[in-house]
Amino acid sequence: MKLVAGVDIGNSTTEVCIGGIGDDGAFRFLSSASRMTTGTKGTLPNVLGVKAALEEALDEIRQPLSALDLVRLNEAAPVIGDTAMETITETIITESSMIGHNPSTPAGAGEAVGELLLLENIWKGKPGVPYIVAVANKFSYEEAAARLNQHIPELDIRGLILQADEAVLVENRLNKKMPIVDEVRHISKVPEGKLAAIEVALPGTSIRMLSNPYGIATLLGLDADETKAVTPIAKSLIGKRSAVVIRTPHGNIRENVLPAGHITFHGQQEKRVDIDAGAEQIMETLAQAGEIRDIDGETNTNVGNMLTRIKSSMADVSKEQHDKIQITDILAVDTLAPVEISGSLAGETCMEKAVGIAAMVKTQQLPMREIAARLERELGVKAVVAGVEAVMASLGAMTTPGTRLPLAMLDMGGGSTDAALLQADGSVRTTHQAGAGELVSMLIQTELGLGSRTAAEQIKKYPMGKVESLFHMRLENGAMQFFEESIDPRYYGHVVLLAPGEMLKVEEDIPMEKILEVRREAKQKVFVTNALRALREVAPDHDLRRIPNVVLVGGSAEDFEIPEMLTQALAEYRIVCGRGNIRGVCGPRNAVATGLLLSGIGEDSYGRQ
Amino acid sequence: MVVNKPTIMIYVREPDEDLLREVCAGIEEEGVLYQVQAHEGDLDSLAYEAAKESMLGSGIGIHGARLAMQMQRLPRGKNVFELDAPSFGQCRNLGANSARAVKKLPFKEISL
Repeated sequence: MKLVAGVDIGNSTTEVCIGGIGDDGAFRFLSSASRMTTGTKGTLPNVLGVKAALEEALDEIRQPLSALDLVRLNEAAPVIGDTAMETITETIITESSMIGHNPSTPAGAGEAVGELLLLENIWKGKPGVPYIVAVANKFSYEEAAARLNQHIPELDIRGLILQADEAVLVENRLNKKMPIVDEVRHISKVPEGKLAAIEVALPGTSIRMLSNPYGIATLLGLDADETKAVTPIAKSLIGKRSAVVIRTPHGNIRENVLPAGHITFHGQQEKRVDIDAGAEQIMETLAQAGEIRDIDGETNTNVGNMLTRIKSSMADVSKEQHDKIQITDILAVDTLAPVEISGSLAGETCMEKAVGIAAMVKTQQLPMREIAARLERELGVKAVVAGVEAVMASLGAMTTPGTRLPLAMLDMGGGSTDAALLQADGSVRTTHQAGAGELVSMLIQTELGLGSRTAAEQIKKYPMGKVESLFHMRLENGAMQFFEESIDPRYYGHVVLLAPGEMLKVEEDIPMEKILEVRREAKQKVFVTNALRALREVAPDHDLRRIPNVVLVGGSAEDFEIPEMLTQALAEYRIVCGRGNIRGVCGPRNAVATGLLLSGIGEDSYGRQ
Repeated sequence: MVVNKPTIMIYVREPDEDLLREVCAGIEEEGVLYQVQAHEGDLDSLAYEAAKESMLGSGIGIHGARLAMQMQRLPRGKNVFELDAPSFGQCRNLGANSARAVKKLPFKEISL
């Protein structure tokens, strides 16, 4: 019996599949294995991973490496992807004039207006003038309360701003009820002598007066022009538990629309679109431009810089000249990013409009032949580069039970979305499109304001739960899970991700519902949009309804919710779509390696040598 | 019949008064009630019994300058947090955490 191996070197995993050809010429699949890819895909260090995976697969059928007769490698798609994000609006405050945040325990409720006065200068206060007193954390709560109580009979103190987290402590010791905002980090920037309005919402509600432009106008006595000027303040205070707005006649707040610029598509037609028009318009214009040679942005604008950045990082990866790098596809997605307002007092953020872009760059052919030669030397086994990745994947996908031709394969990986349509006559159409898992991670990271990309990737990958007591947690679908042993108190009250074998804590204090919404929306925006785009590209006459089957393979097909999302979205077009099950046993993995073996059946290289 | 108020119990044995005051301030800032009682026993027992007696299921034991926070139904000796000669800030956060356990909020950082 002859032994043949199919080897697929992917971005993250290397997969192999072993088949045997009996003396009667009948072909059988024997075993398969998967290992981490060693080094960057398409470079010589890959050989190590290939060897390890082959050993593992051969171990299963108790054969040594030397028993192999032939190794068939894939021709990897010569595309690499990258992502970038740029905000297109920004809010700037000149002269500090607002505080709006969510301290966990403000005190009192309601609103108040008064002149700002620092506690150390309280002796300067005049009777009859309403005051809002600012207290630095050098005063303890007892000291602050004692000093204030001393002056309350003669001075009209309406509200307090504290630097320390002591609002309730001060309130409990004060002889008069008033709204108190605490945890204001940069209290030294509070301008004494200016008129300020302060509001604390009742528990469970958010502020009403200061998140309304007319509310601010009422409290601070503004005219129509001034009211228009404070609208961005009101907007950024929506949903807060407490806020302070300070009237600064010379300062102002403005919302800038940054010079976002336009994108030019160099295709069959030259098309140009403004970034401000939104993702939908951009994608539509891209479709009108036909086949794309290159894409660039207006120089010295945000989008121009963003595309230049993608090109130069791609030039580094592919080691090609910067001017030879051509972007052949992009996927644009609208998003919101929390950006710290410049000039704020307590580190407030504002949700700014942003656009996320995934771009794809065609590169030279990867040096697969060099890898084949090295393998041949190291293993003493004949190794050949046998087929194009997408074609092989569709051959492998065909082994999924319940499929028939024509069949489309959809491979959604990290950087790009690949699709191929295999017709009954054996012809294959393939396409590669920008945008896949990495863009989803970027959207999750920006929309939730996460510190690290790793955290965003984990949120993308794993379902969640909230630890409600030391013995149980509420899962994202509403179910409860109980534990025999108490959960580590570090997780208490946190949202945790349920990775296999361990729990990962989400460091940021974000409600589970919000994370769920952002995660699902990001996946919808990228995967569903791109699946439709890619399938339309390979479909006969670009008509989706003429594809009867779609088989999902690759990394994203293993996700816990993406296949279901696509099954639902494609059901509209009466397409049978689902997670692949290669050879009925491998799930969505191993499609390319399997395809490599299948493509060789009947070739001379297989048996008759 | 003994009627318990909904409080966090603090069982103390020769407590450092400054540390106790900070623990209480931490609980107060979170808006939860507490009760301080003198008891005998080691630190683990003080915290364990306090949590067991508390209607809210959260208790603190203080023995001299050593503090422990405990929650109901956790085994004796398996304290949620334990501090030895802590700073005032740590005591404040320990108090806040005993209240946050009741409110089902994430704990504040306490080590350092």
